[in-house]
Amino acid sequence: MTVSPLQGITHACFGLSYLLALGFEAARLARPSKGLRIASLVAGAAGVFAHTAYIAINQPTPAAPYGSLLLLGWVLALFYLYGSFHYARQSWAVFVLPVVIALVGLSLLLAHDSPVNVPAWLSGDRFWGAVHGTLILLASVGVSVGFLASVMYLVQSRRVKNKVNPTRVVPLLSLERLETMNRRAVNVAFPLLTAGLLVGTLLLRTEHDAKENWLSVKVLSTAGLWVVFLLLMYLRYATSVPARRLAALSIIAFGLLLIALVASHPFLAGGATG
Amino acid sequence: MNLRAIGCNVASAPVELREKLAFDEAKLRFALAELTARYGVEAAILGTCNRVELYLARPETGSPVHAPLVAEFLAELHGVRPDAIHPHLYEHADSDAVRHLFRVAAGLDSVVLGEDQIAAQVKTAFESAQKFEAAGSLLNALFPAALRTSKRVRTETGLGAGQVSVASAAVAYLREIFETFTDKTVLVIGAGEMAQLTLTHLKALEPAGVLVTNRTAEKAAALAAECGGAAVPWEQLDDALAKADIVLSTTGASEPIVPRRRFKEKVLPKRGRRKMVVFDMAVPRDFDPRIDDGDRVSLFNVDDLNRVRDQQLAERRTHVGAAETIVDGEVSKFVQDWNRRKDGPVIGKLTDEVDRLREAVLEPLLAKLNGKLTDADRAYIEGAFRLFQSRLLHGPIAALRDSAPEAHGLTLREALMKLFGLKG
Repeated sequence: MTVSPLQGITHACFGLSYLLALGFEAARLARPSKGLRIASLVAGAAGVFAHTAYIAINQPTPAAPYGSLLLLGWVLALFYLYGSFHYARQSWAVFVLPVVIALVGLSLLLAHDSPVNVPAWLSGDRFWGAVHGTLILLASVGVSVGFLASVMYLVQSRRVKNKVNPTRVVPLLSLERLETMNRRAVNVAFPLLTAGLLVGTLLLRTEHDAKENWLSVKVLSTAGLWVVFLLLMYLRYATSVPARRLAALSIIAFGLLLIALVASHPFLAGGATG
Repeated sequence: MNLRAIGCNVASAPVELREKLAFDEAKLRFALAELTARYGVEAAILGTCNRVELYLARPETGSPVHAPLVAEFLAELHGVRPDAIHPHLYEHADSDAVRHLFRVAAGLDSVVLGEDQIAAQVKTAFESAQKFEAAGSLLNALFPAALRTSKRVRTETGLGAGQVSVASAAVAYLREIFETFTDKTVLVIGAGEMAQLTLTHLKALEPAGVLVTNRTAEKAAALAAECGGAAVPWEQLDDALAKADIVLSTTGASEPIVPRRRFKEKVLPKRGRRKMVVFDMAVPRDFDPRIDDGDRVSLFNVDDLNRVRDQQLAERRTHVGAAETIVDGEVSKFVQDWNRRKDGPVIGKLTDEVDRLREAVLEPLLAKLNGKLTDADRAYIEGAFRLFQSRLLHGPIAALRDSAPEAHGLTLREALMKLFGLKG
């Protein structure tokens, strides 16, 4: 039996590709050059390819911290690649790639804690579990995009406030565009998160209805995330709270998301480790 | 090369004279036709608000056209006395003229260092010269080379980067805040010159509407009519501020017209989370600077905008050295290429003449030795003569190609023609 070379792909392959792309992007900020842009895109695309192949071969489950971080990192890597082409003049990659690299790195750190005997994602063994995982993962993408837009918003807003010469700094999207991006991300993420939480609540109640499960870090942080989102929706549509505060809340939401993703899952067999 | 760049610019001539020397389409057509017919020159005329320059090229054997003649020509064309023009004219000859045009096209000779409009104006001057059949072989090579140089300077140095006017600095800030402008409303308070200038730039962004207000209703109405906006009574300033996304303020008021409390109580509550950018161009300032929260309201005063302009100009100055190096390199390349083109026919004639001489010697020799030589011997002898010829000509041809652009090149060319009996 022949072994595909793709099966030799490891975290290091795509992690280092992303790091390389980030390095080229950083160099491009210091000295704009078409060559560096092409090098960055090639390295980034190679990273996305390796990341995709790794996921396709290993099929990590979003129920485990390792898998959810890896999958979220992958979706954000696609987002990075899209943005790098779409917003060629903006310093998109320097904001997105560090998050992707951090997620990949974190997933690597948690790889040894991965639970055994986890049913394959979308295997049909646990249909509602897969639905719950997919909804939460998609909501996580929205939270992450909202986080990135918020960080960029706060940086841009600070520049405007300090009257920084626009021609002397790394170009960013306009405040208006970033606010729209954040709003759309939250608008998409909130119903997905709500639906995912509802499915999860039903599953927890029917299959794992124990007090310690309801009080697990994962459940509590996800519930906290939902509350923050509810607050975001309220503040955005029912008040005139400045966009900077909404951006700060979006960043808090991302923090809660990370806690929720890193925390072990009460659905999985093995309890404490996941 | 027999090229002259003769003209005046903002540094050599006052605006009153430059205005009189301006060319419209009809005058340009007439001038180009007259220059070619009267003086037998290739001609291109570069006319901008900051300069009027004539680029005149003649065959190398002809005497160059000088500034006094151009002064007379311009005087006749524009109805100005020649002695009112001549003292303000500068004249650049041959490779200096090439360098001048390349520097002009690159924005190195512009009032606003590195400005990019000049390249388009140089292109227009060239296109006009072509259209009216005034450009010949030299100008047809010169102007494209100038435009290439301009492009290189802009892409390889930072000379053309950034914003170098108050109005363009304002637009740069706006682009950091707003994504689109077609849904934005601009409010102009007062009718100062700065507001009008900045408004011209903002109109290019195609805002949804322009509102104008002034203590004097007639002035507001006049400016509104001029810019296609709507006049708003001064008493409705708060409502106009609530509607506006971009505000330009240039009143001559001695006290702020929009104190913080008034803005906070009468304007902000009506705006929701909509962003607002205020350009307070007035001195003393019209808006209380504390209204700037860096989020919903961003306020820029004239110092903020001037600082961007000054920083950018200083930044551009750091690229002058690199830009001049590119220009020098392109000038040398152009002059060498041109001389090579000019030398081509002389080299051709020289080679033909020596070919003829070689054949004249070789043919009788081979005829005399006919029957005593094998084919290989004949080929060897012919090859030896060719080798001798090429070694003989290598020195003179190389010297001609490598000669200094103008005087020496011409002298050597003439010397070669005389020495080898070549006919012009």
